[in-house]
Formats: sequence, C-alpha cells, structure tokens
Amino acid sequence: MPLSDNAELIIIIPAKNEAASVAQVIADIRVHFSGAILVVNDASTDKTESIARAAGAHVLNLSVSLGAWGAMQTGLRYAQQQGYQIAITMDADGQHRAETLLNLLLPLEADEADVVIGACVERGSPARHFAWALFRWLSGITQEDLTSGLRAYNHRAIALLASSQATLLDYQDLGVLLLLHVAKLRILETPIAMHSRADGKSRIFSSWWAVGKYMVYTATLCVARGSRLPIIQRHSFVKSYD
Amino acid sequence: MISYQITSGILGLGIAGTIIVLIRRDHLHTHHAGWWLLIAFSIALLGIFPYIVDTLATYLNVRYPPTLLFTGGLGMLLVKALTIDIQQSQQERKIRRMAQRLALLEDELKQLKMDV
Repeated sequence: MPLSDNAELIIIIPAKNEAASVAQVIADIRVHFSGAILVVNDASTDKTESIARAAGAHVLNLSVSLGAWGAMQTGLRYAQQQGYQIAITMDADGQHRAETLLNLLLPLEADEADVVIGACVERGSPARHFAWALFRWLSGITQEDLTSGLRAYNHRAIALLASSQATLLDYQDLGVLLLLHVAKLRILETPIAMHSRADGKSRIFSSWWAVGKYMVYTATLCVARGSRLPIIQRHSFVKSYD
Repeated sequence: MISYQITSGILGLGIAGTIIVLIRRDHLHTHHAGWWLLIAFSIALLGIFPYIVDTLATYLNVRYPPTLLFTGGLGMLLVKALTIDIQQSQQERKIRRMAQRLALLEDELKQLKMDV
C-alpha cells in the first residue's frame, strides 16, 4: 500500500478553533494512514492544541494568527525542513474524506503532476460558480475548483510554496495556483466527494463584508498576477527571508 | 491687520519645529527623518517667503499659483503613502516568516527537551 505507512508523506491540517472536529478528522485519517499528521494550530483560543495532540497528531503552535494559508505554509516549511517528499493539506472542519487521500497521492507517485487538487465542483452556490468563472477568465487559470483546501504537493511544489514568495498570500486558492502556474509546475485535478461542513459555515465567507473583501482581493490578484497581462514581464522582486 | 507673510511664516516654522522636535525625541526612525526634514525645511521656507510659489508658478506658466502648491503637496503625500505601503508589505512578510519560524523553533526546542 502506498498510503498506509508512507514515510515520505506528511498530512498537514491548519486549524483555528476546531476543537469540535479536529479529533474526528485525525481519527479518520488514522484508519488509512499511520504516518506523520501535522496540525498547525493557528493561535486557537480553544483546546484545539491539546485535543489534536491527544488524537496523535504532531502540533505546531503559531503565536499570532496567520490565517489559513499562513498556517498551511508553516506546515509546508516544516515538511521541507524535515525532508518529506509529499505533503497533503486538508481542512480541519471534517469536509474532506480520508478515504480520498489515496486518489491524490497516486498521480504524484507516478510523477504525472507536481500538484494534485481534490476537486469537488458540485459544491457551492450559483453565485460562487459565477465568481469562479469570472476569476478563471480574469486570471487565465483553467482549474475547475479554485478554492479546494484538499491538495497534494510534491517536493518541487513544497519548495516553491514554502518560500517567502508565497508568504504574502492570504488564502490557499488562486494566489497559490497562479504561483504554481508561473513556475510551470504541473497541476492536476482529481474529482472527489466531500462532506458538507460539520457546522455548515465557511470560514472565509463568514459575512457579506468578508465575501466582498475576498472578491476584491482575488480580483486584484487575478489582474496583477494572471496571464491576461502577458506584456508585463513577471519578475520576482522578493528577497528571501528565512 | 498683520501681513500674510507673518501668518504663513509662523505656520511654516511651527510645523517645521514640530517635525524637528519629533525627530529629536526619537519618535521617527532616522530612515524617515531625512524625508521629514526636507518637508520641514520646505514648509518653513515657503512660509517665510510665500512669493517663491508665485515666482515659480509664473516661470512654469501656472495660471493660479496656489494650485502649484497643492499639486506639489499632494504629490509628495502620494509618494509618501505609497512608500509606506511598500514598506508595510515588506514588514508583513518578515513578521509572517518570523512567526512561522518561531513555531518551528519552539517545536524543535520541545523535541530536544524530550530527547534529553
């Protein structure tokens, strides 16, 4: 079995105040996988840390909240530091099913892709689908599921996303895809089934204000970094910080 | 009635003096002090000799001299606001990297303590 005791694989779960669901998520993964599970505790104010630790995960604690992507990147930096070859990121809210992890892993092990996205395009309202279509058009990205948090990265993708180039991103969606796209890494989508969220609420889309902010942020990213502006040569101005 | 030159002079010197006091009290990083010293000097100069604006406006063929002053001032503010945002972004990047590094180091420390 490539999954059950894969020593080169780490599963990264960013968690902020997920005490209610994180133990179940870890237990579900443990049924299929006995290797490294890392929970990045994004400055939770509840018992996420102790619960995740008791459930058998390794826990990193962020002293200030860096948001979902900041926590995920912390996990990717850990993966890089510890020499893991493959990292799978998962949400802590129980949306992703542990039995689908193998689907993500196989294309990476066959070297068919550098990144595999667990895509579930059935979810989301018509409004969200319209927004995705708009962002796809604006950015020139062809992937169907732009926001899925269930992704598998190989060592090349880990190195890119752990770097300071990816540090100013706020969400693990279009910004990350654009970065991978520009670096010419191969992105593959594999359809998977998802649970509806245990508490039924999106963290990113918690209010209309948050949706508005997200839309403006993402539209700016698309226009600034997308391939619709091919005239402007993209340079990496970013200095490297450790 | 006092001459407008006295009003603008007092205003200019007042603003310039405040900036210099702020720099001297170490409220402004030396890095920013240069810019603000330049601003303080310009405000004091234009306050004491306001007709510099008129002379310059005539030379540049600007019909209504105060617009030159406002445009110049707004331009300076725009440059400053942009540089602040650029620096703020760089700092944000550094802070995030440091917070991540701190989490990694804390974990390493915990592992080391457990090994001992």
